Amino acid sequence: MKLGVIMSDYRTGEDVLKRLSAEKLGIIFVGNGVYHAATKEAGKTSSILEKTGNLYVLTEDLESRGFTSANLDSRVKAVTYSDVVDLIFNDYEKIVWL
Amino acid sequence: MATRKLLFVVRALPYKTEASRLGLTHAISSQSVEIYLKDGDLVEASIAFIGDGVMNCLKNQQAMKHYGLTSIEGHMKNTLLLDMKVMVCKEDLDKFGIKEDALLMDAEDIGGETNTQIVPYSEIQKEMESVDHLLFC
Amino acid sequence: MGKLTIGCFSSLVGSLSLDFSVKLAEAAVKKGHTVDYWMSGNATMMSKKGQRAFKDYSALAKTVQELIATGKFQITACEACAEARGYHKEDTIEGARRFSMDWYLASAFDADRVLHIGGD
Repeated sequence: MKLGVIMSDYRTGEDVLKRLSAEKLGIIFVGNGVYHAATKEAGKTSSILEKTGNLYVLTEDLESRGFTSANLDSRVKAVTYSDVVDLIFNDYEKIVWL
Repeated sequence: MATRKLLFVVRALPYKTEASRLGLTHAISSQSVEIYLKDGDLVEASIAFIGDGVMNCLKNQQAMKHYGLTSIEGHMKNTLLLDMKVMVCKEDLDKFGIKEDALLMDAEDIGGETNTQIVPYSEIQKEMESVDHLLFC
Repeated sequence: MGKLTIGCFSSLVGSLSLDFSVKLAEAAVKKGHTVDYWMSGNATMMSKKGQRAFKDYSALAKTVQELIATGKFQITACEACAEARGYHKEDTIEGARRFSMDWYLASAFDADRVLHIGGD
């Protein structure tokens, strides 16, 4: 299965996400999920970033929270709403919101 | 003629939000979806409880007594009455120390013949792979 | 072009998840896709008439009506969820509809993708 996970929260959902497995997994950070992509706690990046190589963050939500692409972990690609639509239709068969 | 399979994955605790309640009521609505579809077409819904969501499956919920609200247990019983596949993650039950006898396992008292299935997470993962769409609540 | 079915339970005011889903729908329609949008629970208030736009609260009615006008966007509220909130049929914005929950599952039947925002 090609599974796209839209991660919308910072403090919840990680337990569920860690157990999900897919032949192709993508994570799109939106809403408060962007903190996974742009912050560190005690000097450590979010362990979610180890889950897959296909990591995206919604630019609008990143910027709304005072970050820029300069704050992003280098593994995460900044995308627009238009890009998210393309990811949903072209790259993943099933979409999950966490 | 086609069948589309949906899996509702309930991960939310009950009552504070409507998430698990609405997940169950939407799943139950698969029973009347044919009115919108061509003859022979079907939508088949199944339900899996994972993580904190397993708390929805405890029996003896008394929301009606205290809040005048249908309990989540009542909705779960209806899914069993309708022969829907209901899975509860074993690892998550073990994590909380919840035993089978604390769960709603059947709907025999209202004529149901289907039982709740306690399954390892790997079975739920397989179900996720086999369905057409995933609806996390 | 494909069909995206979005179902959302989140509040119009108090959660930006509904804003996300409407912006996503807008982006999908701009690309030529069709979108079916299902509002359940607190999300039903998005199709209620008479919303006043303040800068401190999410205001999505105008965007929704522009989307409806494209002909590529259908929006439907859960009737029971709406009635439970005192939102009656005559309060519905033009072009939006109200049905029972099976409408959503029927929409999922022929959707290429389903995004279910079941939390908040």
